[in-house]
Amino acid sequence: MSEEEKKFDIIVKSNTRDLFAFTKLVPSRKKRFEKASSEPITTDPMNELAIRLHPLRQYLVISEIINETKSTKTYKLTPDPNSNTNQLAYFRAGQYLSLKVEVNGVTITRPYSIASSPSDALKGFYEITIRKEEPGFLTQFIWNKWKVGTKIESSGPEGFFFYEPLRDLKQIVGLAGGSGITPFRSIAKEIAEDKLDAKLTILYGSSEEDDIIYHNEFKVLEKKYPDKIKVVHVLSCEKVTLEGCELGFLTSDIIEKYCDVNNSSFFICGPQIMYNFVEKELEKFNLLHKRIRREAFGEIKEILSDPEFPQEVAEKIFKIKAQIGNLTKEIPAKATESVLVALERANLNPPSKCRSGECGFCRSLLISGDVYISPVSDWRKAGDKKFNYFHPCASYPITDLEIKVPRHL
Amino acid sequence: MSESKEQKIEDLYDVVVIGAGNGGLIAAAELARRSTKILLLEQHNLPGGFASSFVRGRFEFETSLHELYDWGASSNKGGTRRLLERYELDSEFVAVPEAYRLILTDPDECMDVVMPFGIDAYLDTIEKEAPGSRESVRKFFDLAEDINRATNYIGQTKGHPDQNVLLKEHSNFLKTTAYSVEDVQNALNIPEKARSILNAYWVYLLVPMSRVNFTIFVSMVHGYILKGAYIPKFRSHDYTTALDTRIRELGGKIEYNTTVEKILVENGKVVGVETSKGDKIKTNHVVCNASPTLTYNKLIHPKSEVPEIAYKEINARRHGVSTFVVYLGLDATADELGLTDYSYFINNNMNTDELYESLNNLETPKVQATICLNRAIPDCSPPGTCIVSITSAFLPGVWDAVKPEDYFTLKNKIAEDLINTLETATGAPIKEHIEEIEVATPQTISRFTRAYNGVVYGYEPESWDSFVPRLMTMNDEKHIEGLEFCGGYGKRCHGYSSALKDGETAALLTLQDLIQKGELK
Ligand SMILES: Cc1cc2nc3c(=O)[nH]c(=O)nc-3n(C[C@H](O)[C@H](O)[C@H](O)COP(=O)(O)OP(=O)(O)OC[C@H]3O[C@@H](n4cnc5c(N)ncnc54)[C@H](O)[C@@H]3O)c2cc1C
Repeated sequence: MSEEEKKFDIIVKSNTRDLFAFTKLVPSRKKRFEKASSEPITTDPMNELAIRLHPLRQYLVISEIINETKSTKTYKLTPDPNSNTNQLAYFRAGQYLSLKVEVNGVTITRPYSIASSPSDALKGFYEITIRKEEPGFLTQFIWNKWKVGTKIESSGPEGFFFYEPLRDLKQIVGLAGGSGITPFRSIAKEIAEDKLDAKLTILYGSSEEDDIIYHNEFKVLEKKYPDKIKVVHVLSCEKVTLEGCELGFLTSDIIEKYCDVNNSSFFICGPQIMYNFVEKELEKFNLLHKRIRREAFGEIKEILSDPEFPQEVAEKIFKIKAQIGNLTKEIPAKATESVLVALERANLNPPSKCRSGECGFCRSLLISGDVYISPVSDWRKAGDKKFNYFHPCASYPITDLEIKVPRHL
Repeated sequence: MSESKEQKIEDLYDVVVIGAGNGGLIAAAELARRSTKILLLEQHNLPGGFASSFVRGRFEFETSLHELYDWGASSNKGGTRRLLERYELDSEFVAVPEAYRLILTDPDECMDVVMPFGIDAYLDTIEKEAPGSRESVRKFFDLAEDINRATNYIGQTKGHPDQNVLLKEHSNFLKTTAYSVEDVQNALNIPEKARSILNAYWVYLLVPMSRVNFTIFVSMVHGYILKGAYIPKFRSHDYTTALDTRIRELGGKIEYNTTVEKILVENGKVVGVETSKGDKIKTNHVVCNASPTLTYNKLIHPKSEVPEIAYKEINARRHGVSTFVVYLGLDATADELGLTDYSYFINNNMNTDELYESLNNLETPKVQATICLNRAIPDCSPPGTCIVSITSAFLPGVWDAVKPEDYFTLKNKIAEDLINTLETATGAPIKEHIEEIEVATPQTISRFTRAYNGVVYGYEPESWDSFVPRLMTMNDEKHIEGLEFCGGYGKRCHGYSSALKDGETAALLTLQDLIQKGELK
């Protein structure tokens, strides 16, 4: 715009004062600086809160081991002040810990739901319950090696499998299978402590009577809080001595028998096969998406049974050229094992938490080659798909690969 | 562990960029484009800082961006667009449909207006709502144009304008830039009601009109109304990942999960950095996307290398707000909910001193800026759903005493209040349609970006600390040789565009230094 077109001359206070104010701008800034304190800032309260709620690591020590069933044990974990963990992070009932374990010189992680209540964390302990699996790379090791006094490295509390009052209905229906009961114990305890204003009905599938975890404990809770907590055992074995239980699987008939289907929020946690089954059953009720919450079920166990998996590579072992920090290493990788497992086997100490594709903590760059990602565990962001970032915990090599992995935090 | 030693980075770099936020990404891209050997270190496992996204269930949420400033249509490109286009990113941006809808909820202030983009359309609407205001508001926009011309001129002179030219041709700029918005609006005689409408964008600065600098505010309002607002089609994570890709293609190296713990300084000069992964990297140049607050108080090593004036500068400035966001994935469409607009500013009134004060305690703030993303990107969520996010803010310090065991209850209570306000103001039945909900607080900001005390809005842009004095003093306020800052605490104040452009400036200043010292091959 030229000078003639200029519409007006502003006067804020007066012409001279306005111009004077401008010439004073920098000098008055300098004066403010000179007058200010020269004390360094030494605190960052939001960072401190963040570290308390979401510590990068918690160093724990086993203080007690409880035999639950023939194949499950509960480990009570307390802070290890010798490694500078003095308090445990608070959490939301239903969340998990990612435990880091060194097995025969190889470091791996596994997610375990916290089975104790959030207020127990304030008292100084978490409990996790572990089922021994067959064959079970890790659990066999845990059975042999974990004793009272054993030190364990953990993440902070993780995951989104918790009751959210602004979303969920007051009536929770827990559909649990096997060791999938663990987060519901935490939720039940929180309800019993009157910290969570909800009701919980658990339909709990087990294969044998003596596989039922927390049997007596839940009995006590049911007795004490009959309007709030109810557990129905569903057993898939032939012979049963237990009273009041159901036989078979978690079918829609059983669900309907014990639940007000249209006025409940369903929470599912259990082994993968159970999800497939239960979700089919729930389809019959035509529920809204938000009424069904699923815990991440960990790594896909039988990738070959995934109908879209390219079966022709099943027997193959590929090469992965992995860059991690300044290191580049070529490692072998089975088509039927996730890229994360290959990285762990090579002892590269890659980052991981959920092992289900969900949390994105292992996010890595695919420089070349191709991976198979099952649609059920594909939680990548749109931008990541476009620019070839992938989650190694939920990706299977189907060619040789070149990848760049971030170092563990 | 045996391997982690081999994973350490111990080479020599021309420049180390600390932080992959908006500022750091552009600084790294620009330096890489100009063939410097750079290493970009980011403590998180994603690029972007605040400019990111996250997935819950069927939804991918935008973490922070409401509206990108200074983008513009292809026929009228703004500076931010021209800057990003330089890197030829495979990333799409779409226009936001209308400027904003302002709803005031106090019974005696009741207002509900939708304001369009385009200066003439805007003036027509404001005249209709506040008869007799058109001329004074037009003058407000005219001043913005004068200021644009002035800043372009100053830019052309590379920060060394001729005082006579300034006085003769840019007097409107000179005469307003030391004043608050309130001072200038008083002088322009803008009627009260028109001011309420015009000042709705104050949420993007969150400093009351009695204190916020006129120049930055008027440039922002004018820029949005003139050029419109844009957002990335696939959330901010898309363009920040596009930048990550381009930086690597240009030969830059990026390491995530790597926190810089020390910037090593000797005799007033940068000599290297050390990280949480034990890396010891030699460099004479650091471009730092972390704030001066964190850098001088935590990163510079040894502490004896921090001059007293650096602490004084930080302590003299006022840290801006942190944000509180409720992210909602709803199982009804925007049409079904009756959410007709993209951007809602919902406040009790437009008394910005009172609104600002409401951010100073743990009660629910009287301010919210709410986005219905599907109004700009209809298919940003699955059919039958929509994405809504409610943003409010708190002054630093307010959350300091919150205990972990009270944290979840507190954030849910504030989230519920904000949702209730949104429901009452718009009539949309939000609560019954919540499929996914996530609530971010000042703690969340700190957790993911390590921003000092969760602060998002950098230093408050009062007149003495707005972008004009910051640019005028940028050479004298440099205290360590080889250290340049970029980002939301930088020379252009906070916001995406400012941070991006500041990244470019930091890169160019560093490059100049490299060339002058003959350090560039
Ligand atoms: C909820 C919300 C809504 C917003 N809405 C808008 C909007 O609509 N329009 C707008 O223009 N702006 C908006 N903003 C502001 C905008 O996001 C910021 O001003 C801008 O992104 C700041 O960019 P930055 O370059 O300062 O980087 P930041 O985002 O602050 O990133 C800094 C980066 O540095 C990293 N880092 C820090 N310290 C270290 C270290 N020691 N070592 C390694 N890495 C480190 C961090 O992890 C981070 O990635 C909003 C912000 C929020 C939170």
